[in-house]
Parts: sequence; C-alpha cells; structure tokens
Amino acid sequence: MYEVRLWLSKRGRIRFVSHLDMFRLMTRAVRRANIPLWYTEGFNPHPYISFLLALSLGVEGEKEPVDVRITDDAVTPEEVRDRLNASLPEGLFVEAATKPVMKPSEITWGEYLVTYDPSEMNADSLKEALDSGALETEKSGKHGGRKVMKKVNVSECIHSWSLEETEDALRLKVVLPAGSVMNLNPQQLTDAVNAYLGTSAAPLRAVRLRLLNADLEEFR
Amino acid sequence: MDPRIEKLLPTVQKPARYTGGELGQVMKDKNAVDIRYAFCFPDSYEIGMSHLGIKILYAIANERPDTWCERVFAPWPDMEQKMREQNIPLYALESGDPIRDFDFIGFTLQYELCYTNILNMLDLAGLPVKAADRKDLAPIVMGGGPCACNPEPIAEFFDLFSLGEGEEVNSEIMDLYAVHKKRGSTKEEFLREAAKIPGVYVPSLYEISYNADGTVAAITPKDGAPAVVTKRIIRDLDNVYYPKSFVVPFIDVVHDRVTHEIFRGCIRGCRFCQACFLNRPIREKSPEVINEQCKGLIHETGYDEISLCSLSSSDYTRIEELLNLLLDWTPGEKVNVALPSLRVDNFSDELLQKLKSVRRSGLTFAPEAGTQRMRDVINKNVTEEEMLETANIAFSGGYSAVKLYFMLGLPTETDEDVEGIGTLAKKVVDAYYQNPDKPKGRGVTVGVSASSFVPKPFTPFQWEPQATPEELDHKQRHLKETLPSRKINVSFHDIKTSFLEGVLARGDRRLSAVIEEAWRRGCTFDSWGEYYRFDTWMEVFHDLVLDPRFYANRRRDYDEVLPWDHLNYGIPKKYLMRESEKAKRAETTDNCHNKCAGCGANKLNGGHCDV
Repeated sequence: MYEVRLWLSKRGRIRFVSHLDMFRLMTRAVRRANIPLWYTEGFNPHPYISFLLALSLGVEGEKEPVDVRITDDAVTPEEVRDRLNASLPEGLFVEAATKPVMKPSEITWGEYLVTYDPSEMNADSLKEALDSGALETEKSGKHGGRKVMKKVNVSECIHSWSLEETEDALRLKVVLPAGSVMNLNPQQLTDAVNAYLGTSAAPLRAVRLRLLNADLEEFR
Repeated sequence: MDPRIEKLLPTVQKPARYTGGELGQVMKDKNAVDIRYAFCFPDSYEIGMSHLGIKILYAIANERPDTWCERVFAPWPDMEQKMREQNIPLYALESGDPIRDFDFIGFTLQYELCYTNILNMLDLAGLPVKAADRKDLAPIVMGGGPCACNPEPIAEFFDLFSLGEGEEVNSEIMDLYAVHKKRGSTKEEFLREAAKIPGVYVPSLYEISYNADGTVAAITPKDGAPAVVTKRIIRDLDNVYYPKSFVVPFIDVVHDRVTHEIFRGCIRGCRFCQACFLNRPIREKSPEVINEQCKGLIHETGYDEISLCSLSSSDYTRIEELLNLLLDWTPGEKVNVALPSLRVDNFSDELLQKLKSVRRSGLTFAPEAGTQRMRDVINKNVTEEEMLETANIAFSGGYSAVKLYFMLGLPTETDEDVEGIGTLAKKVVDAYYQNPDKPKGRGVTVGVSASSFVPKPFTPFQWEPQATPEELDHKQRHLKETLPSRKINVSFHDIKTSFLEGVLARGDRRLSAVIEEAWRRGCTFDSWGEYYRFDTWMEVFHDLVLDPRFYANRRRDYDEVLPWDHLNYGIPKKYLMRESEKAKRAETTDNCHNKCAGCGANKLNGGHCDV
C-alpha cells in the first residue's frame, strides 16, 4: 500500500460542484476506474479520498491536491492517473500523480487569478481599494457554539497582488491566506472591494493557480 | 453555456442543478439529428433526477440516431426569478439550447400538484401555455405517467398524452412525427394521425358536454379519433430496452443509486391504490436479466447501492433467487442492496437475514388502517398477528425503530377506526418490550405517519367522496388525543394539500381554467409546503364559479359519466364496481397469487399474467 497525491484541475462548468459533492463524485470515478483504493474500516466503509483544501463553489482550480491510498503496489501512480482520467467527467483532470512531499498542514497561501469585467470594475479604483489598507468583510464564524458574523480585515490578509488590464478583462493575481488556520476566497475579497468602492462587481472567473507553504514555496 | 447563465449561477442555490455535464449524459451533434426532444420533469432537479422512468425513456430516445433527447427540470424559484429578469428562456441541460425550438416537449406527470409547474415551464420557455395557441407543428407538447390516466384538468395545455408504459409508443410517435415534419404537415394533420396510434390520446379531438348539475354528459370523439383509448403495456420485460447507463448527478438527489424494476403490476388489489390498478397485468423480469443489468449499471455509474423497486417487492416470485445472485458479487464490490416496499405478511426470517448482510436501514410497515374491519374494507389483507409477528422478527434482528404508515379519511371510517391506529401502534411498542431478543439498552420508537386518503380514478374508490377538510381535521385531532403511548410519534399530511390533490385527481376539463388562473396568480411548486398558496387557489375557484368540493367531496353514482371514461387501463368499470360493493360489505378479495379475481387486465397481454 502506498499514498499518492493527485493534482486535479477543475475547469469550466464543473466549478459549480461543491466541495462536499466532489467527494461523492471522486468516489464514483474511482469505482468506475476500478482503482484499488484503501477503504476506511468500520460500520460503513468508504474509500479514503482526502481533498487537502476545499475550493469555493464557482472557483476553478489548476492543481488541487487530493491524497489517496493505493492498496496494490503493482498499480503505479501513472496508471492511477490514466485510469482515473478515463473515468472523470468533463472538466476534471488529473494533471499529475506524485509522492506527497509536504504535510497538508503546511498549506498557508493560495495564489488566485481573478478576472473582472472592466465595465464593472475600474483598474484605478481596484488599485486604490487594494492599497487603501481599509478593506473589510464579514465571515460567518462560531463563538461559543453560536453562529456569529465576524469582521475580517481583508487588507491585512492580502500577501501580494498584481494587476493586468486588457481591453476586455481586468486580471488580478493575488496571494490570499489558504489552509487550516485562515482562509479568504476571491468572492470575499471582491465583497470587500465592492463595499469599499460602493460597486457591485462580480468576478467573471476566479482560478486558484497553486497552493504555497509559509515560505511561499509551491506546495508539493 | 450562455454567458449570462454562467454569471448568474454563483448567485443561486445549488448551481450544479443548472449546468448539465454530468457523467452519462448523452451529447449529440444537433445538426445531425431530425428530432430534438426535451424531456421535462415538472419539479426540482433533485426530485426529477431520482425518477426511474425518465432514465429509461431518455436512454431509449437517444438510442435513435435521428433523435437527441435532453433533460429539463423546473428551475427553483430563485433561479426562475433571475432567468425572468434577464430574459433567459428555459433551456435543456445537455446543449443549453432553448427548448421552445425543440420538436417535442414531453412532461412526465407523476403527481397532480406539479400541474402549475408545467405551465410555468412552458411560459419560461417562451411558449403559450394553451395548446390551441401554439399553432406550429413544433413543439409538440406531450405528457405521460400515472396522472395521464385522468389528464382532463390539464387537457387544454397538451397536444397529446401517452397512456401506460412509454417504451414502445414514444418511438412510434416520433416515427410518425418525422414523416410529418418532412412533409410539412400542420399540427392538426399530425395529431389526427397520432390519435390512431394505440395508447395515444389527443384531447383536442374530444368534445366534452356537461349536464346542468355540472357532471359530464358525454365525451364525443371527432375526426376519426377512437371512442376509447387503451393504455399500452410492455409484454416482455426481459427483452424491453433497459438503460446501460444512468446520468450520474453531481449533487445529492433524493434517490441517488442504481434502481432496478423487478416486476410491474401488483397482486394485492388494495382498493385505495391507484398504482395497483393502473399497472396491471403482472409481468415479472427474470433474476438473471436483472442481475446482469444491475452489474452493468454499477460498473458504468460507480454507484455503490442497488435498489430493487416494484409495488411490493416480496411478492416477486423469485426474490430469493435474485438476492442470491446479487449477494454473490455485491459484498465484494462493496455494493449495498436495498429492497423497499416489503409486505408485512410475507417478510420471512430468511429474507431478513439476507437483507441484514447488507446495510440496514429503517423498517417501515404500511398497515394503512388501524382496525381489521377497516383493513378489510380497503382490502389490505394483513392481520394484526402477522404484523406483530413481523415486527418481532425485526426486533430480534436488531431493529428498534419502526415506522407505520396509515391513512385517515378512508371510506366508512369511524372514530373507533381512528383510535385503532393508536392501539395498533401501542401493540408494536409492547411487542418490543416483551421481546427477549430485543436490542440491549435501547428504547423503541414507533413513528406513525398518517396521510389523508385521496380517492383516485381507476380504483374501486373512484366514486367515493374524499373526507372534507373539516372531517380530516377532526380525525387528526382525535388520533392525537387518543394516542396511548409516548413512544409513538405521529405526523400528518397537510390537509389543504390533500384537498387540492383530491380536486385535481378526479377533475374534468373545466379545471384547466382554474389551473391556468392559479398559475397566473403566482402558484407554482404546490407540493412544496413553503410555496403552496391554498388561499389563492380557493379565490380562483370562487372567481371562476367552480366548487372544489364538487370534485373532491361528492359521491358519484355508478352511472355517472366520469371525466376519464374514454380511457381504458385494462380493468373494466364493472370489476371496479364489484370491488366497491365488496368494500361496503367489508369483504376482502384474495391476492392474485392465491386466486385470480378476474380483473381483466390480462387481456392487454394476450390473456397472460405472471402469477
């Protein structure tokens, strides 16, 4: 038995499938592909498939790590990749299958590419908002078991950003906290920008390009 | 996908309902087909994707090289609102193309309370809701499924209905359409020819006249339409097409598993049950075929559960053989087998052991009525002893939660019969505590679910008045007040919902105006409590001067012309009258395995019935 880290891309309309539904989808894909996966033991065994970090509904991913355990050593990681690709629905693709190097808990940052419609979001305004140091949004959280809305200082969360403007698109590359400690997704960033500017822009597209550790090394 | 849809999807609940792209969906080149078919389920994606019929008919239509059949569901109100705001017409999930440009729009009619959704979907598609206002040949709006047995309340919205089982007749309709499309026929020309196909009912070819008291005077066919339309059946289930794959949904739907039909029809003849009388004669599928098809579906879909479905699974004569075949390979592949719709009287210890080897779910019994007299009236041939014996087998087998299904408002029901429900439930509670092999350290919970009886066409109770909302309210209160144990949890169906169901189930064509007006005043998703607007419906009845109680709460005479008298589901009215009279005398009729009661449905199958 060995553990393998699959790098999954999620593109197109399948971005509307939620994190919770992704687990069921992968379970079925693995069953169709007849991959010898390790099943959890207990009353209701299910295959061990671990999506290391949830991807928000509507966000695409370029290389999302998914850990699985293969019970038959004769089945190589490349074979797992190819068999799975033959059984995954349109929009999902295993880009690579590698030996896990880092621990899931090391994930600290996510690099995103967020595209806006220039008619909805002005480049100068966006720059101003990102430079303001005053971006805020609300996130639902828990306090003593109760659901509460918590204020989040978004400006403090943003590690770095760059902006590129073309005629039909305004592209923001941004590094946001991702992982078990702190998370901020492109929609929350957009909400904060909208609140600051008094606009109502919606991203045309948001893609998580890669995950990084605390030292900004690519998660492997 | 329309970029406008892509942009609004992040703002609606469960957007994956509207994207398509699921595994197993059929994609074709739209320029390479002659017929585009929109198969519509007039309820949410989660309900529609759970339905077996749609999977079968979708796959059959797509077997045709000349046809591309796609799926359409009712957008949830949040999505509908946004589609209307941005003028996005209702589209099919596979291609994303607007369905108003399709050749067929087919609706499956599973329950009466989906009728306003049909109008809403046609309107969202950008089409007039009334058939008479849709002048072109395409799209042909057709309907099928159980509610097609009395389609009169929705007759004005449809071009044709397909009665009975659709596997063969749908293709015949499409063949005929292909010819007429090439020929450039008018819709009327096509429909006149379609009416000659057995099982096809074209409502516009029938004139309905009424008596002064509001009852139907006559149903008169015209333009060569047959006086009586007889439902279609599939004679040989082993050789009829069954899908090799299912569309596997991304999101969690109500029934998310491989479902396999093991036989059609029902041997029991419970007098309230429409499914029994609509689906006769009995036809069984062989265990070998079921097993092979299940195996194929499991491998194609990746599902880990098989549900064997029928109206009464333990009446399948080769059930043990089938379970043996399935249990030979399913545990190794970590697949569960579920067997819903078990009867209490032939639920054997052996069967329980077999089912225990797969995952255990809750246990439900449907005694339907609380006293033996009442059960005799409805011909639910189970006794209290049988029920308690089965409950004991289950308790010894480790079950500690039981759900019991009952109906309130059955014909001849008295307060004593209502109290009997509590008494019976209490006996189940007592049986648990007296059982020495019961699960250790656990209490029992007995759930009682009491729905309201709705008389349905083609049953022996089709002439009976439905209990009025006031009577049902009294019965619900009475049951609650006389419950003898705190271990019993009782839940009821909404009376106002059952009332509308009762009106629509036995309604006539004049109700088309009511349904249309109710929809215009905002009624949709009537089967969803949060959207059901009972007061609006009642205002519409009032404004259109039609009395809903005339339809729901009135006793019909045997010689009254019923709105569905021109439709034939294989069981002559005479048989239903005989059963109705026996009910009044609390006389039972034996099940078909013990003795053929001569219902006549076997004539549809060349005199053959699998009993």
